Amino acid sequence: MEWVDVIVLGCSFIILLAIGVPVAFSIGISTVLTMLLSIKTGPALTTMAQRIATGLDSFTLLAIPFFILAGQLMSRGGIARRLIEFAKALLAGLPGGLAHVNILAAMLFAAISGSSVATASAVGSIMGPRMEEDGYERSFGAAVNITAATTGLIIPPSNILIVFSLASGGVSITALFLAGYLPGVLVGLSLMLVAGVLAVRRKYPVARRTGWRQIGKRFLAALPSLLMLVVVMGGIVSGVFTATEAAAVAVLYALILALAYREITFRDLPQILLSTSATTAIVLLLVGTSIGMSWILAYESIPQNVSLALIGLTENKILVLLIINVILLAVGVFMDITPAVLIFTPIFLPIAVQLGVDPTHFGIIMVLNLCIGLCTPPVGTVLFVGVGVAQTTITRVIRPLLPLYIAMIVALMIVTYLPGLSLWLPKLFGAQ
Amino acid sequence: MTRTTRVVDSVLGWVLVALMGIAVVNVLWQVFTRFVLADPSSFTDELARYLLIWIGLLGASYAAGRQMHLAIDLLPARLTGRPRFYLGVLIEACIFLFALSVLVIGGIHLVALTLTLGQTSAALHVPLGYVYFVLPLSGLLMMFFSVGAVMQQRAALHEGDGNTEEAGETR
Repeated sequence: MEWVDVIVLGCSFIILLAIGVPVAFSIGISTVLTMLLSIKTGPALTTMAQRIATGLDSFTLLAIPFFILAGQLMSRGGIARRLIEFAKALLAGLPGGLAHVNILAAMLFAAISGSSVATASAVGSIMGPRMEEDGYERSFGAAVNITAATTGLIIPPSNILIVFSLASGGVSITALFLAGYLPGVLVGLSLMLVAGVLAVRRKYPVARRTGWRQIGKRFLAALPSLLMLVVVMGGIVSGVFTATEAAAVAVLYALILALAYREITFRDLPQILLSTSATTAIVLLLVGTSIGMSWILAYESIPQNVSLALIGLTENKILVLLIINVILLAVGVFMDITPAVLIFTPIFLPIAVQLGVDPTHFGIIMVLNLCIGLCTPPVGTVLFVGVGVAQTTITRVIRPLLPLYIAMIVALMIVTYLPGLSLWLPKLFGAQ
Repeated sequence: MTRTTRVVDSVLGWVLVALMGIAVVNVLWQVFTRFVLADPSSFTDELARYLLIWIGLLGASYAAGRQMHLAIDLLPARLTGRPRFYLGVLIEACIFLFALSVLVIGGIHLVALTLTLGQTSAALHVPLGYVYFVLPLSGLLMMFFSVGAVMQQRAALHEGDGNTEEAGETR
């Protein structure tokens, strides 16, 4: 490992990012600059081009645009609204009712879509105005929605768990998906607890409890949407579909529902397909250039050196996991989750495995950890989307976000030190 | 956007719509042939992977043209007028140089290399060079869009000095 190379890589990346060069290009340019220090120009450029192309050459990755497409169809096709009505019938009567409704709706939407950005915009655009009508402060509603939306990446299906499976070199997607359920529910419950206490303290109104008949009616209306969960996850867990096939089936299912509800027509399809392609491509360019950066790090033997340094520091599993968690929290603040997973999985996963941590469990720790960074500035995709749909500002949502960050960090610690929470379901279904 | 960039943007948009539509139908066809016809199609897996490369790279240039790529805009948001314009040029220059060096030059090398080695895909028997051709293609599109962005920002700067509404497109 040459220190010069590492310094060039780190400094050029940070400078490019700071002056406002898009993240994917910052990663790509700093990688190429580092390559040029030890490889001739021609081969270096060809290698980078090849990393990008072969990095995207994956059937599994195709699940990502499909889950994004299904999510778009669900939010425009009235599926999100039906899930919210059901969540509302169940929880609006509790103290802090609408905050709980937002969180449960996000979890339900998460359970059929693979993205937290889709969850934040679909649920936030409907719940935001309603919470405000009931006297909730706009920034509080936005903060709850932003943090709750991260369950979109923990509760399966999840695009980022697919990326982790790729970066880890083949941890089973089925096992990862099953492992995400209970940690995702834990995050949801922690957020509900904190949001509930805050809502009571701020004396937000409580709705009358909904009758059973009404709950039943809302449940029936949401049932076709909830059945999607059975089709997608049932198909993957039983081994009938691969994740990509399940995602394509989810697209078909969401399309049929949205057309049946008469919320969209065939005329809307080109626009939906185009916005899906653009959203996908933004993620895919990050994937391609991050794979390049991960390659140059391996070429410089960075993973081995970090591993030696960490293990040299302590061999205590609890401490090492704590150190990794602290580093990842810092990484998550400055980096988007996709490059962070692709670049840091090859560095930290071998250490964790060496200390006896299950790779599936480690994937959940890593994703849950980096989800917190999605809600923090300066790089927080979910924060940006959540603030955007609520039409508020980042400065205003930071204060109500602080206690919710703490709830997420506590959930992260529980998930880190209770492996059973992640591993029980995969073992139960024999997915490991 | 200028008139030329708008035309390219719209053509590229329709190509992406078509590729994404084909990708969905292709994987549904894979499921259909396996379950209903019990005769799994041989080409769908490969076609899906190649479509993803094309969607990823062409889509990335489309997103670059629309300034949709994720970036930290703390510094650009603080500047106005001429300094804001120079920073904008610097950012577009970075994108331009990356597209030129890696996607166009590196991409052409890769295409030439796979074509001379005669590598073809297993199921569709397509030369891999054709698949990788999307690298220089999207590189050229990105370069085109970044020149367009600079021209537009300059026009906005001259139009109303200090009025940066137009140039200050959010990234």
